[in-house]
Amino acid sequence: MIEVILIIVAPIIGGLIYGLERVVRARMQRRQGPPILQPFYDMLKLIDKQALIVNPYHSILGIMHFVTLWVVVAFVVLGQNLLYIIFLHLLSAIFLIIAGFSAKSIYSHIGANRELQAMIAYEPILIMTAVGFYMINGSFDISVIRNNTSEIAGLFLIFLAFLMIIPIKLKKSPFDATEAHQEIVGGVEIEYSGIFFEFLYMAKWLEYVFIYLLLMLFAGDSLILGAVLSVTVFLLVNLVDNSTARIKMKHLIKIVLGIGLSLSMINLIGLSYV
Amino acid sequence: MFDFKPIRKKSPWILHYNAGSCNGCDIEILACLSPKYDIERFGVINTGNPKQSDVFLVTGPVTFRSRERLIELYTQMPEPKVVMAVGSCTCTGGVFRDMYNVENGLDRYIPVDVYVPGCASSPELIIDGLVKALEILESKTKEIEKPFKLFREASLDNTIVNRRNSALKVGEDTTDDEKN
Repeated sequence: MIEVILIIVAPIIGGLIYGLERVVRARMQRRQGPPILQPFYDMLKLIDKQALIVNPYHSILGIMHFVTLWVVVAFVVLGQNLLYIIFLHLLSAIFLIIAGFSAKSIYSHIGANRELQAMIAYEPILIMTAVGFYMINGSFDISVIRNNTSEIAGLFLIFLAFLMIIPIKLKKSPFDATEAHQEIVGGVEIEYSGIFFEFLYMAKWLEYVFIYLLLMLFAGDSLILGAVLSVTVFLLVNLVDNSTARIKMKHLIKIVLGIGLSLSMINLIGLSYV
Repeated sequence: MFDFKPIRKKSPWILHYNAGSCNGCDIEILACLSPKYDIERFGVINTGNPKQSDVFLVTGPVTFRSRERLIELYTQMPEPKVVMAVGSCTCTGGVFRDMYNVENGLDRYIPVDVYVPGCASSPELIIDGLVKALEILESKTKEIEKPFKLFREASLDNTIVNRRNSALKVGEDTTDDEKN
């Protein structure tokens, strides 16, 4: 029963995280910042706005992106197979990329291209994370991972690699070239307006929930460790976001694949010898 | 039915367009967004994307070459929307009034809701203007507003659509006035 409630309120939790994050980021820059409920005001306003449809498939694919992400979050909450979840998450990203290519805007195309390149960077590390969990727990099932004790010591290098991909997924500096609001005006989301943009906006909140739920897996059955990890990573990601500049796509792939993938490979090789 | 109108003024997303300004007013607008004045506390985001914005901030005296983009951006913004003319140049043409390359203010092309005077207008004044604009935004309907000067028929140039000079000039005799 509690799982069903969690799944239904998942976008709302994501919205609260996003609102809190905007406040935290503002406080780090010594300003007041918007109210915590600001994302919900934005959401209600977007419902009221007139929607301009570029082409029907473009709008429908945006909705599909949101729905698939919600299903992904639901499967994580229900404790399904981690590998399936990662591939389903890939599908949701692919919907967004197809949507980006379906509009004629050049910024949309550049955004979709960059989204694909970012996917090349983060997807292997996500799969490596799943493999790492498998090697320790003997199962891809999230319910099994959640019932075992915390393996963060054994998976520490993979944990570091996972930390590197969080800014890519949450569109944070230094790895926010996929969205790049000042250069390519949001990339794939440029042609969305009104209620259709809202689905992308809410998908961003679900992305937060997904990433932090995956992060909680490193804590195993210890809820306290999970909470500590989430809060620490939340503050760390925002601190890095505020203090670094955006890097190019080429460097993003080089850094994430070069450092992240080798870290997780070393960890996996180490695990196979233990 | 849930009334969305009070929500509108809680999340105004702005689009900022420089119609030939000297950058003075642009710097003041960016100063509003910076930590000292921090208009993000009203929920303002500088989107830079006309399809997701509510408030259209225009600076500059609307030069001859910028008027096409101006109208294009205006027509791309979904309703409801408000237009703010920031700076003396945008309100009346300012010191550039009646020059050969200047169109004498924003309101000859698109309907303006709030005029913010000053050269350059101070951040306090811009914030006051924004608050006023949000009151207007709350009372607006979703009826489509049109720019006064629309596009001509797009001319074909070697089978490529040529958009250059496609906006009507001020005072130009429009044959399709009834249509607009």
